Amino acid sequence: MATDAPAATGISTDERAFWERIKEPAVYVRLISLFVVIGGWELMGQTGNIDPVTFSYPSAICVAFWDLIASGQMVSAAYESSQILVAGLLIAIPLGIVLGILMGRFQIFEYAVDTYVFALYATPVVALAFPIAMVLGVDFVGKTTIVVFFAIMPIIVNVYHGVRNVDLSLLEVTRSFCSTEGQRWRDLIFPSVVPYLVAGLGLACGRALVGMVVAEFLMSISGLGALSQDYIADLELDKGLAPVVLLMVVGIALTKVVNICETKFSSWRVRQES
Amino acid sequence: MSSSDNGTNPTLRLQGVGKWFGSLHVLDDIDIDVKTQEILTILGPSGCGKTTLLRIVNGLILCERGEISFKGEVVDGPRPEMAMVFQNFGLFPWKRLDQNIGYALRIQGREKGEIDRLVSHYTELVGLGGFEANYPSQLSGGMQQRAGLARALAAQPDVLLMDEPFGALDALTRETLQEELLRINEAEPKAMIFITHSIDEALLLGDRVLVMTPRPGRIRFQFETGFGRGRDLEEIRGSQRFQALRHYLWEAMRNPDEEPEPIPELVLE
Ligand SMILES: Nc1ncnc2c1ncn2[C@@H]1O[C@H](COP(=O)(O)OP(=O)(O)O)[C@@H](O)[C@H]1O
Ligand SMILES: [Mg+2]
Repeated sequence: MATDAPAATGISTDERAFWERIKEPAVYVRLISLFVVIGGWELMGQTGNIDPVTFSYPSAICVAFWDLIASGQMVSAAYESSQILVAGLLIAIPLGIVLGILMGRFQIFEYAVDTYVFALYATPVVALAFPIAMVLGVDFVGKTTIVVFFAIMPIIVNVYHGVRNVDLSLLEVTRSFCSTEGQRWRDLIFPSVVPYLVAGLGLACGRALVGMVVAEFLMSISGLGALSQDYIADLELDKGLAPVVLLMVVGIALTKVVNICETKFSSWRVRQES
Repeated sequence: MSSSDNGTNPTLRLQGVGKWFGSLHVLDDIDIDVKTQEILTILGPSGCGKTTLLRIVNGLILCERGEISFKGEVVDGPRPEMAMVFQNFGLFPWKRLDQNIGYALRIQGREKGEIDRLVSHYTELVGLGGFEANYPSQLSGGMQQRAGLARALAAQPDVLLMDEPFGALDALTRETLQEELLRINEAEPKAMIFITHSIDEALLLGDRVLVMTPRPGRIRFQFETGFGRGRDLEEIRGSQRFQALRHYLWEAMRNPDEEPEPIPELVLE
């Protein structure tokens, strides 16, 4: 970086960094793109080019969003939805980790279950909604099970690969220093699995959200899925789309949380590239 | 040192060791005695089974023929009295330097206070003081191998096994570490098997040099370097004896099938 330029122009380094960031294509292309798309959409709505019965536009959706929050409907629907989301993840995460570890570490266990796991992995989970409903019902248990099926696969598969890709030369180091099996898990296997697990969790959260909406649409209708469907059926498109916006925000937030975890757990990688 | 001898009894004994990987015959009829506090360097062409030999001594793999014994006990698995320094360092990338150095001690279940004391002692001894909080990827290869050495030393083994530990390092770092290894061994003597494919390194570090044949690895010949303890590496490098031995080994390595002209004043077994 040229250090003489700021002094010459009297611009502080902070300002300079700001303007340099602004000049990055990533930032301004995104800003312009958002401005054009949202602005264009809004403009079409304002000028009456969008029929409010068949579609809506940003400011109308914002107002509807606020109305739904003010009336308490959004909060109670989100609360209802989050119950199956959280329950599903709370089952899928530990279960997926345990299954992935057992499959990765114990050959016999892998042979015993890999057919089912990979068959399920290849099956579109939506197709399982009806069989699950028949067996477990269309309420909380059935819906949570759908979320579990959606979320668990990337966890199992990633953890399995993490265990499988343990550095063999480090495995030899643990053996050479007379490590017990338990110590080996603590010092080597768990730490090697963490990056794979975090990546799997990122995928799992996204899929859990999909599973939640699928369950709310296909089984007994409830939560944000129901809220959206009800208003769309009443031809109130702005209110029908508001829950979709909320789902979008939650999806982005979950991805961010996972990214932060990823950085936190791999601080030892930070300067690896130097 | 747990034994009260003066450093001449065998600590480690290999008798008739033979090893096959499937149909690949890797080691044949290896007999080696390593005395307490002796540094044995093993020199051999790449692929002759040096690493395999060290892994067998460490108890990481078993041999089909023969037997290893440590202080009279048969070695059938890794034991805490032996510690290995690995060619690729073998540090845990997610552990800080002090955690890596204290690894063997934690495995052995030592007390926290003792671990801290030993870790700081050996961290200083290998010249890594101040780098305790760094991760291996933040350090140069030379520093990583210092940590690998400190980890092995901290376990306070009777036998140190080193598999081309300086092979991945540049020439200058390598020479520095050779000096330091001798200095450390002076301070805390122990038996050492040091594998290398560098003739100079074998001569400078070894009390005894053992040369292996190409696969299947057999013992070709061995001799005492006779440079004595407290050796000054610069002085040795300039000595006639070193030059003569170096030339002899050079000829031997170049012609695996015939022995070079013996040097009269050296006793070669
Ligand atoms: N685990 C193994 N399985 C099969 N072959 C092996 C294994 N380890 C080493 N070898 C073979 O044994 C021979 C000796 O290997 P190694 O002991 O690593 O030689 P060196 O360390 O002297 O270069 C090589 O031909 C190598 O390919
Ligand atoms: Mg080798």
